[in-house]
Amino acid sequence: MRNAQISNARSAGPDALRTREILTARARALARPYRRPPAADQAIEVVDFRLAQESFGIEQTFVREVQPLRELTPLPCTPPFIRGIINVRGEILPVLDMKIFFELPGAGIADLHMVIIVHAGDVELGILADVVTGTRSVPLNTLQPCPPTLAGARMKYLKGVTNEGMVILDVARILSDADITVNEEVPS
Amino acid sequence: MPTQDDEFIKQLRETFSVEAAEHLQSMASMLLELEKAPPSAQGAETIEKVYREAHSLKGAARAVDLSGIEAICQSLESVFSEWKRGKSTPSPEVFDTLHSDLDEIHALLARAGADSTGGALERGNRSPGAEVAPRLPLPIQPAPSQLVESENAAVAATTVRIPIAKLNARLLQAEDMLLVKAMAAQRAAELKQVTALFDQWHREWAKVSIEARILLRSRKPDPDAEIGAQPIAASAKLAHFIDWNCDYFRSLENRLNSLATRAKQDCQGVGKRVDDLLEDSKNLLLMPFSTLSVIFPRLVREICRNQGKEVDLVIRGAEVEIDNRILEEMKDVLIHVLRNCVDHGVETPAERVRLGKPERANITISVSQVNGRSVEIVVSDDGAGVDLERVKDAAVAQGILSEIDARALDEPDALALIFQSGVSSSPTVTGLSGRGLGMAIVREKTGNLGGRTSIESKRHVGTSLRMVLPLTLATFRGIVVSADGRKFVVPTVHVERAMRVKPQDIRTVGNRQTVSLQARIVSLARLAAVLELPPKTNHDDAGVAVPVVVLHSAGQRIAFAVDEILQEEEVLVKPFRKPLLRVRNITGATVLGSGQVVPILNVADLLISARTHGAPPGAALPGPARERSAPTNKVLVVDDSVTSRMLLKGILESAGYQVKTAVDGVEAFTALHEDGFDLVVSDVEMPRMNGFDLTAKIRRDKRLVDLPIVLITALESRQERERGIDAGASAYIIKSSFDQSNLLEIIRRLV
Repeated sequence: MRNAQISNARSAGPDALRTREILTARARALARPYRRPPAADQAIEVVDFRLAQESFGIEQTFVREVQPLRELTPLPCTPPFIRGIINVRGEILPVLDMKIFFELPGAGIADLHMVIIVHAGDVELGILADVVTGTRSVPLNTLQPCPPTLAGARMKYLKGVTNEGMVILDVARILSDADITVNEEVPS
Repeated sequence: MPTQDDEFIKQLRETFSVEAAEHLQSMASMLLELEKAPPSAQGAETIEKVYREAHSLKGAARAVDLSGIEAICQSLESVFSEWKRGKSTPSPEVFDTLHSDLDEIHALLARAGADSTGGALERGNRSPGAEVAPRLPLPIQPAPSQLVESENAAVAATTVRIPIAKLNARLLQAEDMLLVKAMAAQRAAELKQVTALFDQWHREWAKVSIEARILLRSRKPDPDAEIGAQPIAASAKLAHFIDWNCDYFRSLENRLNSLATRAKQDCQGVGKRVDDLLEDSKNLLLMPFSTLSVIFPRLVREICRNQGKEVDLVIRGAEVEIDNRILEEMKDVLIHVLRNCVDHGVETPAERVRLGKPERANITISVSQVNGRSVEIVVSDDGAGVDLERVKDAAVAQGILSEIDARALDEPDALALIFQSGVSSSPTVTGLSGRGLGMAIVREKTGNLGGRTSIESKRHVGTSLRMVLPLTLATFRGIVVSADGRKFVVPTVHVERAMRVKPQDIRTVGNRQTVSLQARIVSLARLAAVLELPPKTNHDDAGVAVPVVVLHSAGQRIAFAVDEILQEEEVLVKPFRKPLLRVRNITGATVLGSGQVVPILNVADLLISARTHGAPPGAALPGPARERSAPTNKVLVVDDSVTSRMLLKGILESAGYQVKTAVDGVEAFTALHEDGFDLVVSDVEMPRMNGFDLTAKIRRDKRLVDLPIVLITALESRQERERGIDAGASAYIIKSSFDQSNLLEIIRRLV
């Protein structure tokens, strides 16, 4: 763009050769793939949180609220990633522990102080976090695919990783995944 | 990105689909009405109405550009118009076609609703209409539609359409206020406790008040007392402080007392308002039963036509209002029940005529409000009734109960068996299979809603199923127990009794634990183990009585050992939602008055789980699952009295043994050679070959020489006993001292 403007300013000259040169330059400038400018609509707002020393992000559009974890009731006969249930304004929501998905160390509950209430479609649940650091804007073009070592089988739950190493969770994917659904009959 | 127009059309179509559903519904019910009464009679008015419905739907479909629906409506309209003019009389085939046309509109609607994009809608626009229209007589001129529209407008003025989701959210908030009420009560109680602390102060003060008064009196300077003026001045100051302190405390007490009183009043005020709010919010969700039952006549008609049966469906009390959430839950249940009625209850017309019954069967659904809080739905038919013998046989075949128990069952108990899902899955009762399974679901669903189910049936007269449900999803009473330090709620309706069991009363029979309860042996399981809670090491603190809750459901009961039985509370079920679609052993959760979230146990599940998980660590699967488990011990019971035989069989089977019987020594000896047994229990006095002779014969047989033999006899003399032991019996039990746990204990030692 800048090149184009400069060439524009110079284009007042009468020289035909010069004109062609300018036009070529302009064409080149315009032909450049439109990728650079980090316009506002190309960034996502994420809630930034820590889990076992790792930095994670959840897109704000999926976040209903963030609250300190006060009381967590463990729920028997459910898979380990369901750490329990909480009461959020009269509704009982399950709480997921991402550490179990990503095989992160420290399965204890001691560090988990916060719960992020997320929703997508008709699913609403809590995701445990050690610390919630705040929100920030992440330009989409800084997102890179995750190194496969990080997530293992749960690769599909990740949207990407930022330059600073923040892992963005694909909440829509997680919440719609049949793997997190608990639907078990008692074997008789 | 949807444009604004798309968004608008989408909204318009949503509105349309709601409207269309109503038109379709009323057309369907009017068609059924017309089919019953020929249009020539009082049907003229109905024809006029159904004609108008078709017409308005046509107009609405045109407005939202759904030409497929429009075309079908057009053809419907023309048929109705023919009827109006009395030009044709409808045959059942015509009704079939009309119903299937309505279905087609439903399908088109669903397709139009599924994708909001224009492209998909166009698919709906074209195809089916073209096929449908030619099937029916040619279209006629549409009648003016103003009349119909003005009617609709009048209705709209008094009612507002609010999505149920929004009302549900309101109700949730109102329910959450219960917590506020509970907290207010808690604060008031705490304040009351604080004021009670003043009693102690009063007591302490009373002890020293005389001394204090002396001290206070001496505060006035005594002109005669010269010596010790200094200490007197100091003590006067102290006395003054005590005086002040006393007054200060008294005023503090007064203020606290009035605060406590006001807190209590506030609590009552808040409580009243919260209750009113909750009540009104619940009422918002009350809907007439008819919103659910409108679909039934068609459903029944369809099943009947498929099966070549004829049924009149009568619905009474359709105007009774019930919580929409309950209606939603009951929809599948009632569909199930109706299907069963036609499928298994109602006979074919030919069969009915043979039995001297009217050709057309009758199914009645009657809904009535029992009292202020519950509603009763009774579905009855005049069909074949339940074949109790087959139900019993199925139950015995499933190992749900022993033959002897089955024989002893009275009618209501035998009928109750069909609520057990096991009964139905048996291949031997194909005729009843669907019914049994359905009934288990019916009972589970109504149970989850806090309701009860019962059934009455008379062979060849009919069956009636009675479901009593709460009017609103109300609170129910639950017992709070703890297992491995975690709290759980058990619905009180499923608790037969709560008690303490001494360790010496717990018997290990076979490979499971039992307790004796009112002369019946009941399995004992650890709740924590059944719920798969991580095992704790130091569990058996010997000598301490164990708290136990005996839970029952569908005629079965199991005792569950818990850490503590805490309290009974009024609890409100909070159902789980996606992704928790169904959790084993747990129905939902509730919030206790303390604000704690506590899971509610699913008793029906627990009883099944207890059979697979409740056994002590290392033990094999007990009970009915024994076919799959480690080999169980086989016992031969020999007795010439059928009662004794069945009694012994019952005792041994309920303790997990596999039992065969023989009527005398001869038969027993033959059986022993045909089949391997681990133990023989035999009577002494029997025809042909008595117990002593049998014992002697067994001991002489090389293959059977080590087989344990228990003799049971009425002969009490020492001689007899010695004779038994001489013959080679392993144990000798006198009938007069007969005690089943004693018998089981002996058998357990021997095998």
